[in-house]
Amino acid sequence: MASNSDNSAVGMPQLDFSTFPNQIFWLVVFCVVLFAIVKFFIIPRMEDIFANRRKIIDGNIAKAEEIRLRVSEIEKQIEEELQKAKSQCDEIMNASGNNIKEQMALALEDSKIATTQLINEAEGRLKELRDGSEAAIEKISEELASVIISKISRGK
Amino acid sequence: MEKQSAFNIHPMDQFIIDPILTGDSLEWYSFTNQALWMLISLVSISFVFIYGSRKHQLVPGRLQSIAELMYFFIRDMIIDIAGQEGLRYFPYIFTLFILILFGNVLGLLPYSFTYTSHIAVTGFLALSVFIAVTIIGFVKNGIGFLSLFWISSAPLALRPILLIIEVISYFVRPVSHSIRLAGNMMAGHAVIKVFAGFAGALGLGAIAPIFAITAVYGLEMLVVVIQAYVFTILTCVYLNDALHPGH
Repeated sequence: MASNSDNSAVGMPQLDFSTFPNQIFWLVVFCVVLFAIVKFFIIPRMEDIFANRRKIIDGNIAKAEEIRLRVSEIEKQIEEELQKAKSQCDEIMNASGNNIKEQMALALEDSKIATTQLINEAEGRLKELRDGSEAAIEKISEELASVIISKISRGK
Repeated sequence: MEKQSAFNIHPMDQFIIDPILTGDSLEWYSFTNQALWMLISLVSISFVFIYGSRKHQLVPGRLQSIAELMYFFIRDMIIDIAGQEGLRYFPYIFTLFILILFGNVLGLLPYSFTYTSHIAVTGFLALSVFIAVTIIGFVKNGIGFLSLFWISSAPLALRPILLIIEVISYFVRPVSHSIRLAGNMMAGHAVIKVFAGFAGALGLGAIAPIFAITAVYGLEMLVVVIQAYVFTILTCVYLNDALHPGH
């Protein structure tokens, strides 16, 4: 059945059972060597590469987390500073408002005094004027009385 | 031989086991063309997996990418199908996968020998898987492994019939497992050889068979990878049956 002599296959060489011991012998050798290579070279190497990659990725993630924490801390700080600045601003505004009020009150007081003075003065002058006019009216009425009297006495 | 016929086609010649060192006599230890291609496959595997990733690059180069792709493909496949416990058998399954894959792919080189086209080789591998899976099943589950054949989710009346079907299909596994691979490899190579024979006989008209060879070759590129994948995934499925016979 073996067809090696004339170098041409009769039927299927796969079914030439005389070659089976040889095939299986070499296959077993091949399998054992290949398994050894897989077990002792390929798998440790691949796992090493994978573990390294994992480690670096994990390291990067941890670093990113740390940076995130720092950022949130800085944000909190900024918030605090802003709050402080706001309260300071409020204080300053209150203080200046009070100052303005005080000064306004002072100015008001001043103007009050000035106006009362002016009013008093005006009243004084009005009084003077009134006194003057009273005297004049008296004089006129006296003259008027003497005229009326003379007219009445003449009419008699 | 030319004088025998116009079509000098010997599509099966490429599968002849030829002792290349010891002349014509084929003893069980003779170094044959098949053993030579197993050796070449071994060298190629070492080249891709050991030389290719010698630098342990964080960002893999081309060869290391190929190696990692295959490695993690099989790893994830085992986890997907057989669960985390299946990972214990990863070295065996991975060995099986690259053995078949490299055998298939190297077999596509002109003048090469496809050791996976021999039923002795695939039969041996399939029987090893069958025996190993059966032993694992009984060691892990004891007599409970037999519940694989007793479908508890089926109606009681159907179970004896299903038992027979399940037992038969279980014992047919190594046969289908091995013939699927060897048959695919053999058929593709034989078809290419037949077309090549036509091309040799047709002279200028050879353009048609050469075109056909190109097409079949493209198809075979697909088939060799798929068959390696199928063999491995079926091994994982059988392993899963052994680890979890309940479902």
